[in-house]
Amino acid sequence: MRQLLPYLGIAFLLLTVSILWARQIFLSNKSKIEVQVPRKREAAGGSTASLGDLGERIFGLEDWDFVSHNAPSEIQKMFLHERTVLAISWLRRTRTTISLVMRAHLVAAGQAKDLHPVTELKLALSYLVFLILCNVLIGCIWLQGPIRTRKIVGQTLRTVTWLQGAFEVLMARVDPANCKRLRTSFDHRAVRS
Amino acid sequence: MFTQILWWLGIALEVLILVRSVKGNLCQKYPAFYLYLGVLLLIEVLRFSVYVFKPQFYGPFYWYTEFLATTIAYAVILEIYRQALTNSPGVARIARPLLWGVLGAVILKATLSAVNQLIWSPATTQAELERDLYTVQALLLAGIIALVAYYAVAASTNLKGIIFGYSTYVYASVISLAFGSLPGYGPRPGWRLVQPIAYLVALLIWSCTLWSYSPNLAAETESKIDRDYKLIAQQTRRALLKARSFLKMGGEL
Repeated sequence: MRQLLPYLGIAFLLLTVSILWARQIFLSNKSKIEVQVPRKREAAGGSTASLGDLGERIFGLEDWDFVSHNAPSEIQKMFLHERTVLAISWLRRTRTTISLVMRAHLVAAGQAKDLHPVTELKLALSYLVFLILCNVLIGCIWLQGPIRTRKIVGQTLRTVTWLQGAFEVLMARVDPANCKRLRTSFDHRAVRS
Repeated sequence: MFTQILWWLGIALEVLILVRSVKGNLCQKYPAFYLYLGVLLLIEVLRFSVYVFKPQFYGPFYWYTEFLATTIAYAVILEIYRQALTNSPGVARIARPLLWGVLGAVILKATLSAVNQLIWSPATTQAELERDLYTVQALLLAGIIALVAYYAVAASTNLKGIIFGYSTYVYASVISLAFGSLPGYGPRPGWRLVQPIAYLVALLIWSCTLWSYSPNLAAETESKIDRDYKLIAQQTRRALLKARSFLKMGGEL
């Protein structure tokens, strides 16, 4: 019976990818709508700086220091609960943003002629790592709250910086003009890796 | 009796698909696939003739023609590869080393197994050889489907039908031949029916999806790509800037 395992494994692999592809085909219309979501959000007046500040505020210690020193325990509990919900929501939003970048890259990569398989593999793996980390982080925050997991959040976001670097390399190959503009508009010193 | 019904239904559906392909000019769009289907129809008719007129030769004739059918099935894989990735040069560039890698690994494994065995024996029985050939096809198909899904390559209804139909058949063949090669499973009549039933399901999928020609959406995407590319690039740039603003905070934590 053990000699059957490779055959059953390969058959299962084929079945899995077929099901995933079928699922993707059925959800393709929904995906098209999702791609337009950030544009709508930006049009509504949200700025990149405010989003960054929001994250900083959520995971920052200032509010917690104030509440823990000046408010009763019930208010502290309420604060931690609300901050947990907010942190999870913020992380989900970050994950959506990166997924959007990845999706846009994949659409462009399919048409690019000078694609490098190794870089693509690296990018796919780093994206997978990012998704796993993001989900683990959401789980940690859900269990422990955003204050205790503050250091892990910082660590995870530094990993995302690595992913960002891979994106930049690929963007330089797919669209050098846009990448150049992208580099000039981003202050690298702001991220300490 | 049930086997006879499956046989006749299979032949009828093959004829229907081939007739529709001629009427709808589909055979010019997917030549390798229809060549495969034509050869299968010919084999089925020949098998039936041998079964009726020379039943004593049916056993060996079945295995020789089955080997031919399994080998020519690689034309379907080639057709899928060609049709799915023609309009996506980037994905094709990724697919080539991946698929050659799969083939190379299989050849290497077969060679190593042969070296370890004192007597060269690619497969103990015809069924095992067929199982191995279908397993390689399953690997190649899984690779192509994974790439098509990952890069969201647009595919026409015809191509989706070919892929899903053939995947169903390959999946069922690998499972049934794997279990069928076990001692004790082979003589059970139930295992012999899995493959014809799966083939009938594949034929039904092909009958529905290959009824008329549907253009490949990839061609349309390619013509629109120049127009849409600026939009995508702008969107990507905006998303990257947002992500970076998040990272700015991450660096400070």
